[in-house]
Amino acid sequence: MASQWLSPHQLPRRFRIHTDTTDFFRVEYDDVVLLDAKPYLIRHNVKELRFGLDDEVKFWVKRAVDLKDGSLKIIKLVFYEKFMSHVGGIEFECFRSPRKEARILKLVAGHRNFMQGFSVEDEKGNVVRVLDLIQGQPLSFYVQDMDLDHETYFYERFPGILDSFLECVRAIRFLHEHGERHGDVRRDHVLIEKGSGNYRWIDFDYNYRHRENIYGYDLFGLGNVLVFLVGKGDLLIRDLARDNHPALSSLTEEDFSIVFQNRVVNLKKIYPYIPEELNRVIMHYSKGTNWFYENTAQLIDDLEEYRNAP
Amino acid sequence: MAQGEEKTYNKNVLIAADETENARRAVSYVAQFLGGLPGFKVTLLHVVGEPEPDYFPTTAEREKWLSHYVQRVDGVLEEYRQILIQAGFDPNDVSIRTTLRYCPSMAECILEERDQTDYSTIVVGRRGISRLEEFLFGSISSKIVTHARNCSVWVVE
Repeated sequence: MASQWLSPHQLPRRFRIHTDTTDFFRVEYDDVVLLDAKPYLIRHNVKELRFGLDDEVKFWVKRAVDLKDGSLKIIKLVFYEKFMSHVGGIEFECFRSPRKEARILKLVAGHRNFMQGFSVEDEKGNVVRVLDLIQGQPLSFYVQDMDLDHETYFYERFPGILDSFLECVRAIRFLHEHGERHGDVRRDHVLIEKGSGNYRWIDFDYNYRHRENIYGYDLFGLGNVLVFLVGKGDLLIRDLARDNHPALSSLTEEDFSIVFQNRVVNLKKIYPYIPEELNRVIMHYSKGTNWFYENTAQLIDDLEEYRNAP
Repeated sequence: MAQGEEKTYNKNVLIAADETENARRAVSYVAQFLGGLPGFKVTLLHVVGEPEPDYFPTTAEREKWLSHYVQRVDGVLEEYRQILIQAGFDPNDVSIRTTLRYCPSMAECILEERDQTDYSTIVVGRRGISRLEEFLFGSISSKIVTHARNCSVWVVE
């Protein structure tokens, strides 16, 4: 069966077959995982590409080939993890939940702004997720790697990027309307699919113990992505200082991110051609704001108002 | 209510309590402020936010956590009750209400509990969280202050 999809040199001599995936370290290259009577040939572990740091190997996430039709899959095995996360000095508890991701996959089936796939239990009841491989690059790399000055980017590329990002925000609203949260909204958790150009959210298995605002952390993530997109990257105080930027002396504490103290949010001070209506939206994520977005609908309204302005 | 007609307030006080220091301060405030005065009835309300199933690998672990949690909170609420009694409240006028429910917003759950009963006053403690924390995770006391209707809210710092 495997020989249909693999060249002779790719074919292993013997297959080790797993029906119990509890110990994901034992599921290795060239093994076969049998899920719901369907065989998947395991290739390598997936690495998480992030912020230029060393790629982190995720041993519970495998690239695989569906041996029935040859399609490429990502197989996420069950890994329960609880840990304390820190944002701006605030500590909160995070955890991974395979069941949450399985539920969301079902909810977003056919939705063009989410990764697609399904969940299936192995013989020990582990909730394994079988995902379609998305060919494409993360939004973060796409924007940061553009060889354009900011002004050209802002006028020529940003409008289209913003429209696609608005779709992503609406997609998060869709989750919230169904009582779900993404849990780990980041710019590298949006993949731009080759061919279709669809922006797709990936990785929904993170969750956090919420306090009063159940969706606050998702909203925080959306704001970070938006500021990154408007600025064509993070605008850090040290970069402005290095370049002896003329706007440096006019920046006040209130112009910086409420969470990341070295990131400029009042981007209009650096790029004066950014319209006030857009700058006002990102300023809700600054230290100087006197009002925070409470839900995605409010953010969408403001962004649509800016986009639809004559 | 016609203009000029005086609204009547009852002497029923609802303290939204949990295991935190700020809740203890709220109890202590009510004890010192109202203890020994006639007619006041206090209910110590604790809403147990139903733990998210996602947080636990198995249902058994969830049940175990819940049972330990409720036991611990019951003990704390009884302590609070004694604080009020020692301050002069009649034991018959201090009750405990614990309720388990799914709470995407704890503030809304507390307010819904109040709406089902007859309390003119809600008392909550405030942690004094930073703007950043409020931005990220929201504030129960702020939301109660904003959304409470037909009652007064005392926020104890």
